[in-house]
Amino acid sequence: MRDPGFMVQDQAHETAPDPRARDVEVQLTRAGLGVARRLGDRAGGLLFDRLLRILEARHPRAFAALGELPDARLLIDPVDAPAALLLRVGPTLALRVCDRDAEAEATVRGPCARLLDLLEGRIDGDALFFRRELSIEGDTALILALRNTLDGEEMDLFGDVAAAAGPLRHALPVARRNAGRALDLLATARRLAPPPLRWGMAMLERRLTGLRQGA
Amino acid sequence: MGPFELICPAGNPAALRAAVDAGADAVYLGFRDETNARNFPGLNFSRPELAEAIAYAHARSVQVFVAINTYPQAGNLAPWQRAVDDAARLKADAVILADLGLLAYAAKHHPDLRLHLSVQASAANAEAIRLYREAFGVRRVVLPRVLTVPEIARLNAEVDVETEVFVFGGLCPMAEGRCSLSSYATGLSPNKQGVCSPASHVRYEPRGEALASRLGGFTINVFGAGEPAGYPTLCKGRFVPGGGTSRDPAYLFEEPTSLNALALLPELKAAKVCALKIEGRQRGKAYIAAVVAAYRRALDAFAQGLPVPALDLEAMVEGGAQTTGAYTRAWR
Repeated sequence: MRDPGFMVQDQAHETAPDPRARDVEVQLTRAGLGVARRLGDRAGGLLFDRLLRILEARHPRAFAALGELPDARLLIDPVDAPAALLLRVGPTLALRVCDRDAEAEATVRGPCARLLDLLEGRIDGDALFFRRELSIEGDTALILALRNTLDGEEMDLFGDVAAAAGPLRHALPVARRNAGRALDLLATARRLAPPPLRWGMAMLERRLTGLRQGA
Repeated sequence: MGPFELICPAGNPAALRAAVDAGADAVYLGFRDETNARNFPGLNFSRPELAEAIAYAHARSVQVFVAINTYPQAGNLAPWQRAVDDAARLKADAVILADLGLLAYAAKHHPDLRLHLSVQASAANAEAIRLYREAFGVRRVVLPRVLTVPEIARLNAEVDVETEVFVFGGLCPMAEGRCSLSSYATGLSPNKQGVCSPASHVRYEPRGEALASRLGGFTINVFGAGEPAGYPTLCKGRFVPGGGTSRDPAYLFEEPTSLNALALLPELKAAKVCALKIEGRQRGKAYIAAVVAAYRRALDAFAQGLPVPALDLEAMVEGGAQTTGAYTRAWR
């Protein structure tokens, strides 16, 4: 569908991704969920703990607010990704990969790209709900508290993670600027690659994202 | 009269920055408690956040109005009076009040503080507005959304008070400040606790491809597959009248729809309206940025006598539909 013209025109942030770079980030998020699921509870848990610590350092006010919420679990289900996330708010904040039927006090479902936009305040949650692109179940107050808390931040998932990566942080703006050209090169390489290599690349992509072709 | 003032909502500091950067003349907001009519989880401003917000806005010549527009409860005046005191101390440009006692308190203790009358006061005639002006020095009245444009013009001809009207966003079809529909279903009041359809009492249930919204245990709407959804408010619920079972549920009061009075700018200007208000302190900063920017462009074009550009905001409004509301309501 036509993307409604209400994405934040984030001119204040030099690292704001263009649409092609954004596509890459969404693919990486989906692939990351697939990888985290394969890593299992222990290693995946360590990764998510690290991610939360990075985000907490960048957004202390939001994390303090999440910590003050009553102990509850929120299932975040990107319907086009291989796994869902279980966010525990309250005194013991935690994030884990989980099955999409995991038990939780509240559930938010929607396409991965939209959930990522919502996390970063690039799109309005009410508008997504009105258009039925986002569905919610369970404790509405918990969902609203989370949404409002995150919307009060200027979060940039990849930017925040890159910022914690020392000298590598300078790579992200460059990567975002050049994402379109890199994708074009990749597409060309894919077209020119001999069939066995092409099939191998496609299989690897499917394994990473956990998706079947055409899904 | 100068150009219209554009008054924009903010539910958090990021939304305030978005509104200021997108071209607001003033931003209205509330404290994080029951003293304002958008008392929702995770929303609104702490005192330090208000101080930062005012500094940000004033540095860019944008005003900040603090809505303290619920009605204090018997024996518990302190939160409301403290809110007025803190807004004055932090140098807010105006407070938006509804309660007579609170107006009297503000006028007595903060004579230099500019007072606006909230839409929640439902002041809809010249006599009422004159009383607020003479008794408390109210400088501006936010008119309830029940008046037609000719009625607004007649009213402005009779009073010496600035008027502000809503032009975009969610729409209360009831008389503001006097609606108890949500109180009936939830036991919590929009007018006292600032919660119309409190999230704690709202549940959404998928029913196959349909979506049911429930408030306080009552099913108030079922949206079919692909049908645009609306807020879970009783005034926009679908019901079977008269307790019958054979008729399809229908909207008894108002359909899920959003106000957009952009087409009425010439009439509102001729009616001597001073300021135009965008609803939506509960909305995200992406919405605020887009709506404020669109209205800024429209008002700038209007002020220069140029064609007013269309907003193209249908995709983000309640029910995916827009109306000019009571301003042009034929049945009135």
